Amino acid sequence: MANGSWKLGRPRGGAQLPLVLLAALAIALILIGKAQSNLFDRARANVTDWAAPALEVVRAPLSGLNRWMASVGDVFKVYQENLKLKEENARLRQWQNTAVVLDGRVKRYQLLLHAVPDPTLSSVMAQVIGRSNRPFLQTMILDAGKAQGVKPGQAVIDARGMIGRIFLTGDHTSWVILLTDLNSRVPVTIEPGNTQAIMAGDNTSAPTLDLLSQNVRLKPGDQVVTSGDGGLLPPGLAIGTVVADPAGGFRIVLLADSASSEDVNIVDFKLKAEAPPPVSANELPATAAGLPPAAPPPSAPPPTAALPPGITPPPQTKPATTPKPGAAPPVATPDETGNE
Amino acid sequence: MERVANIMSWRILSNLIPVTLAILGVLVANFPVSFLGGHVAPPLLGFMPLYFWAIVRPDLMTPFWAFFLGVLEDLLSGGPPGVWAASFLAAYALIDRQRDMLAGLSGVGALVGFAIAALTACISAYAIVSILNWTLLPLAPVMGELAVTVILYTFAVFILGGIHRRLVGPLRSDF
Repeated sequence: MANGSWKLGRPRGGAQLPLVLLAALAIALILIGKAQSNLFDRARANVTDWAAPALEVVRAPLSGLNRWMASVGDVFKVYQENLKLKEENARLRQWQNTAVVLDGRVKRYQLLLHAVPDPTLSSVMAQVIGRSNRPFLQTMILDAGKAQGVKPGQAVIDARGMIGRIFLTGDHTSWVILLTDLNSRVPVTIEPGNTQAIMAGDNTSAPTLDLLSQNVRLKPGDQVVTSGDGGLLPPGLAIGTVVADPAGGFRIVLLADSASSEDVNIVDFKLKAEAPPPVSANELPATAAGLPPAAPPPSAPPPTAALPPGITPPPQTKPATTPKPGAAPPVATPDETGNE
Repeated sequence: MERVANIMSWRILSNLIPVTLAILGVLVANFPVSFLGGHVAPPLLGFMPLYFWAIVRPDLMTPFWAFFLGVLEDLLSGGPPGVWAASFLAAYALIDRQRDMLAGLSGVGALVGFAIAALTACISAYAIVSILNWTLLPLAPVMGELAVTVILYTFAVFILGGIHRRLVGPLRSDF
């Protein structure tokens, strides 16, 4: 390990100028990456597509080895584990009966209320061919990409719950941003109580909860599911359980274990855009109160005085109307909205 | 004449060894398959040849290669671009300024020298990502990566030293 005998090939400090230039280039790269991250993403997707066959070859023996290493310690507690599983199985059977009864009841109620049925989900099954547990990024690579219909934003789940979201797709591979990753933000609902919150990853195994309302009382053991806000993720995907954070606040212990997941489902969820209900003149407060609808104010001439000399203002197709405070908003006729 | 050509071509090939090893290190470290179930952070394998030859043969491991290896690390690790490029350059700047001192270290001292350089790279990366995300990240994953890198360097330095003595050799002007 001795370095004492090495002879130096160059005097000290000879690299100052290139260092400064390259440091400026690195900073520029950071700023460009922040503004235009898709440039790097495309290169990453291509590299992963190219390396996918090698990853699949290496994955099988290594996952076997990992499973074997994890099971070495389990041999000594098989009996205890078996008893515990039997007990848990009996309890889960009771819950299954309850769930079946409640599911039937919910469907009957939906039928009676003419409720909109839940949207159906289609999914693509994929295998995990790579995992990356870097200090600043926690991700996994799947063997399904654009060719299989995978798109960025889709949820990735395993048998236990949600693992993460697709954030980058190649032709035959895709990258998943895990729920624990620093950049992960998922709108969630906490049951019971239907409390809305944002689950935020911070590179620890238990993501944090940012509550949207301050007057909410959570307790450890509450269940966390996706809320479906934003329309990207389906509502009701199981995520985890609320636990108290010793440092204050709450965290979520995830149901899914991304380190051991082998086969996952990529959920394709596309909520149909809901058309706004048509507005009729009778529904407006002013009309409903028996008052005549407010006439639009006379159009003012465009302010040409502020323009620099030589520049003509653009032609106006419609007179500009500025609603006064307190005045009724302009009424959209059926022809304009196109709804009727 | 043929003998001279052979020597020259061997010289060129041997000069490429440090950079090739560093590129291989980055590729292996970023291969998205964990040998230990993802519980241990992958080491900065590419940084080991970078540090070693930046001290003993800086003509072969120039700042450009530090930048290039950092960009490759950024590309393959999936993190924000430019972070490791800037971090490797920060470590290179330290090595460049303290080369006499670092080259004179031996035994545990040499390991401490490497740990300081690796710490510079890791802390730089941590600071940049924290600023980019405008939040203080947990320090444990970075420190884990640093620890694994330093432990592995204890063994890697013998391999790198052997390769340097047998294949790369000192600069011709040093004789």
